[in-house]
Amino acid sequence: MSEHHITPLRTYLIIAASLLFLSGVTVWVSYIDLGSFNIVLAMFVATVKASLVAFFFMHLLWDDKKNLTMFLMSLMFFGIFVTITMLDTEFRGDLGLNPETKDPINKRAAFYDTLPLTDTHGHPVDEHSDKHHEDKDHH
Amino acid sequence: MEHHNPDSPSHLKHYFHDVNQQYETSKFAMWAFILTEVLTFAGLFVAYIVYRSWYPDMFVDAHKLLDVNKGLMNTIVLITSSLTMALAIWAIQKNNKKLSVLMLVATFIFALVFLGIKYLEYSHKFEVGQLPGEFYSYMGPDAVHLNNPHIFFSIYFIMTGLHGLHVAIGMGLIAWLIYSTQKGNLTSEYYTPMEMIGIFWHLVDLIWIYLFPLFYLIG
Repeated sequence: MSEHHITPLRTYLIIAASLLFLSGVTVWVSYIDLGSFNIVLAMFVATVKASLVAFFFMHLLWDDKKNLTMFLMSLMFFGIFVTITMLDTEFRGDLGLNPETKDPINKRAAFYDTLPLTDTHGHPVDEHSDKHHEDKDHH
Repeated sequence: MEHHNPDSPSHLKHYFHDVNQQYETSKFAMWAFILTEVLTFAGLFVAYIVYRSWYPDMFVDAHKLLDVNKGLMNTIVLITSSLTMALAIWAIQKNNKKLSVLMLVATFIFALVFLGIKYLEYSHKFEVGQLPGEFYSYMGPDAVHLNNPHIFFSIYFIMTGLHGLHVAIGMGLIAWLIYSTQKGNLTSEYYTPMEMIGIFWHLVDLIWIYLFPLFYLIG
């Protein structure tokens, strides 16, 4: 097995240092309010970190490309899974098929009586709705 | 019937042409397993995405009930354990058994620290009632206005719980690696199990890389 690629020690240390640095960066930027761009940035940094782990720690960079193909296929199927699910869940309101209004999830929770029933976007929908819900201006 | 070449190493199975083919086959099968792992977690990530798009404000406010410092500490611990795992493989490739065992022990300890911090987080949440579904009972001043926060905690507990289970299974596998390496079963000639468990361990790190910002660092 001596013909296997042996990653130099320096590479491992640089990758680990980069991962720790990026972890700090992602915590730091989360305290800056960038609106909806926060999640985009957080996911971008996470993907850079994940790529470093996959290519260097998991040796995909030096492996036969069939292993990388297998890994990318799992991500591709994840993408299909998300897309097709959201084509349903994001447009239920358009059809008047709103699962939360008809059969509220929070009916089973201990605090049921203290909270307003909500539609799929968290907006109050019934007689409890005149109660306080400060979360709207919290964002 | 095919006969075994008496010169071939003892770990070479008769149905493989040579050790390299055996190694590559094992590795490809490991990646097939990683694919099923990614898809297992994919279902939970989809649940996260759907509910976060339904309750954007609640997710932002409910995540403030989590402890960012503990999450960051666990991120650092897990990244370091990934490094020590990689170094254990590096050491065995160089036939340095002593260093390899040392690195595996370090990885095991870091995994234990990760679960320890997770235990502190979980026990606090059990105490105050920040629990999944109908078990949710937390009514603190920072939570009374939340819409369905039990959904956030259902997803939080299932995702971090399944991840924690992977850490625990990884610890068992690493313990076995420590034993095998110490015994001399794994050498620079044959370290396939260490490479495979290494890939599994890095996957655990990789999933946490996404869980950390998604739960602890929302907008």
